[in-house]
Amino acid sequence: MEAFLNQIPQQLVNGLTLGAVYALIALGYSMVYGVLQLLNFAHGDVYMIGAFVGYGVLTALAPKSGLLAPPWAIILLMLLAAMLICGLLGVVIEWFAYRPLRGAPRIAPLISALGVSFFLQNAVLLILTANYRTMKTELLLPPRMGLDIGPARVSAVRLLVILGALALMVALNALVRRTRLGRAMRAVAIDREAAGMMGVDVDQVIVATFFIGSALAGAAGVLVGLAFTQVWHYMGFTAGLKGFTAAVLGGIGNIPGAMLGGLLLGLTESLAVGFISPTYKDLIAFVVLILVLLIRPTGLLGARIQQKV
Amino acid sequence: MFSLSVYCRLPTDTTMSLDKIGQDEWVAQVEARRAARGPLGRVLARLEAANPFVVGGLLFGLAALLPLLTSNDYVLRIAGNVCLYGLLALGLNVVVGYAGLLDLGYVAFYGIGGYGYAMLASNQFGIHVPTPVAVLVVVVLAALAGLLLGLPSLRLTGDYLAIVTLGFAQIFVLLTNTLDKASVPWSSQVVNVTGGPNGITAIDPLHLFGWELSGVGGYFYVLLATLALVLLMLRNINQSRVGRAWRALREDTLAAEAMGMPVRRLKLLAFAIGAAIAGLSGSIFAAWQTAVFPQNFDITLLITLYAMVVLGGLGSLPGAVAGALLLSVIPELLRGPDTARLLFYGGVVAMTLLLMKPRWRGVALLVAVLALGLVVRLAATALWPQALGPAPAPVSSGLGALAQRWLIFPANATLAGNLLFVLVIGLLMIVSRGRRPGVRFVLLIPSLYLLAFVWETRLAAEPSVTRLLFLGAILVLLMTYRPHGLFGKPRVEVV
Repeated sequence: MEAFLNQIPQQLVNGLTLGAVYALIALGYSMVYGVLQLLNFAHGDVYMIGAFVGYGVLTALAPKSGLLAPPWAIILLMLLAAMLICGLLGVVIEWFAYRPLRGAPRIAPLISALGVSFFLQNAVLLILTANYRTMKTELLLPPRMGLDIGPARVSAVRLLVILGALALMVALNALVRRTRLGRAMRAVAIDREAAGMMGVDVDQVIVATFFIGSALAGAAGVLVGLAFTQVWHYMGFTAGLKGFTAAVLGGIGNIPGAMLGGLLLGLTESLAVGFISPTYKDLIAFVVLILVLLIRPTGLLGARIQQKV
Repeated sequence: MFSLSVYCRLPTDTTMSLDKIGQDEWVAQVEARRAARGPLGRVLARLEAANPFVVGGLLFGLAALLPLLTSNDYVLRIAGNVCLYGLLALGLNVVVGYAGLLDLGYVAFYGIGGYGYAMLASNQFGIHVPTPVAVLVVVVLAALAGLLLGLPSLRLTGDYLAIVTLGFAQIFVLLTNTLDKASVPWSSQVVNVTGGPNGITAIDPLHLFGWELSGVGGYFYVLLATLALVLLMLRNINQSRVGRAWRALREDTLAAEAMGMPVRRLKLLAFAIGAAIAGLSGSIFAAWQTAVFPQNFDITLLITLYAMVVLGGLGSLPGAVAGALLLSVIPELLRGPDTARLLFYGGVVAMTLLLMKPRWRGVALLVAVLALGLVVRLAATALWPQALGPAPAPVSSGLGALAQRWLIFPANATLAGNLLFVLVIGLLMIVSRGRRPGVRFVLLIPSLYLLAFVWETRLAAEPSVTRLLFLGAILVLLMTYRPHGLFGKPRVEVV
């Protein structure tokens, strides 16, 4: 029992790291769902591309001879490059695969999204092969660096993941709540047609939403790459599934809900790993999800859907 | 806001004579007429106007001749797979296409069928139940599981239902993976239930009417007959009261409920029937493969099935089978390098000729691409011969050799192929969404040339990757050009 309780703080730290990443991915799902009612199944693969962009920047700036820039600058550059490229990729995907399907039955864009996901995965597989790549995180943040909080140890990388994700979420919240664009996004989410009639450029808002959501996924990819060091072409699948689960758990289309759902999912998983068994980690995550949805059919923070006739 | 969806269809007797219908119907059918346009649309519209029994009977008769024409096990295996996928797609079509329930847990029922049969007829528990009993038990079991999963659907809608059913499917796969060391409650015994990642092997073959089925041909006939029976059954259900009620449910659940339809019972029925079909297919699959593994029932299969159903057109029976046919045959054709090459170049030429609007423009485009290749080749050999290398995967004869002599390859062809792959995708995306025909024409010349280069350097070298790459691209393109699928009816939303 003693060992059992001693484990809790460390598992909470692990859960927080995992949850922060899930929340970042879930935000992209939720934002896109909010404005388009579309499940963007290619989101996980955008995240994978982000991880690869981060890996590319790191390998370019950290050759064998030593770092070409201070570590903080490299990390910042990795994040910025991944966010920019993933944001643009998201915009291109929207333009090519989803925009022609605006008025189509709801399942058509879903299949189109699956097609994009297949395509991205296999394009990366074709160009970069199936090898795992290892990010040399230890060059930027030595494993010794970190904080000891009581019995738990927070390594510098985990701190970076948690704080980075938190900063991005705060920034997103400010954007959605305080800016003109944010107001337009909320308006489109509530009623696309009405927003258009009130002078909101709906297409522009949708493009911006895809850019921001995909940029967040790219950032999540870099952070995960730094924290868990392995990057490969299929990493987006599980992460996408988890992000989707987190978004639904919190109430899809709801931005605070996505954050809450992500953190909750991460904590559940790491506690399951610590106390039950690593084999049943995913099982428990899904059981929790199903139980939550059976009690609250629209997620934790999701609005009750009023069907209007 | 008052929203009403009109399910519109062309008159079945004469496809194009629209003289007897009123103004509103004419307006409502604008999408259907648009869908019937173009070479593909015309063929599909004519197929649909024909008597389904005649067309179906002919196709099934032809399919039944297949084992007589070839003894090639590989071909028969693919044919059997087409039937199996067709069955699965039909079952999924009941849940998603008819009742409009986004069920992502469908493969779990297939798995229940497979594992159920495996446990009842193998040495796993030493039970060998006769085939008819085993199949019946398994089908009932799958239908019950369908009812069980259907229960949350009464409370959840849309995407929430999707994630719960997806969770169910994931739990199923996780359990099959981990239940090889299941602990029995109140005792320290450990029981091997599912065999874990090693699955269950040495499953009994099907015994029907005193025969033991063996060989690919026998299973092909069983699958074909089952497919025909299920098609017939679903057609009858679709045209019955229940079928109409399902359609009403899909179009507007609230309105259906207000009209007094037993919405709860209808949803559960759809889940149960879909699950029963999946369970049936699963038991045949298990007997055919004589083994089941957890990865037989994972999410990749679910995605493929969804792609088949939606590609064929949601709610369309021939569509589901056509989707299964397309998506299981095309990847197989891309497997061998020679057929893949033929399919690739043939596909490019056919697409160019069909899609370029004045026909001469397509011919001119192909000629221009050929000329571009020759000019580039001449210029490169004259000006900078030392930079040229051999083809990365040389072919000595046939179409491949011809193409490789027409193209030029730099010394580091793999790298160039990778970089140009990204460029070509970008170019083709711009071309396919571009508005101005002149710009498209000019852009297409280098695009097609580079596409051939990328094919010869990278795509032909990695057939397994290329297959999935093409599958993804086909899904996106077909969805954006025909959002309602091949056989689906476009719906008009009247607001």
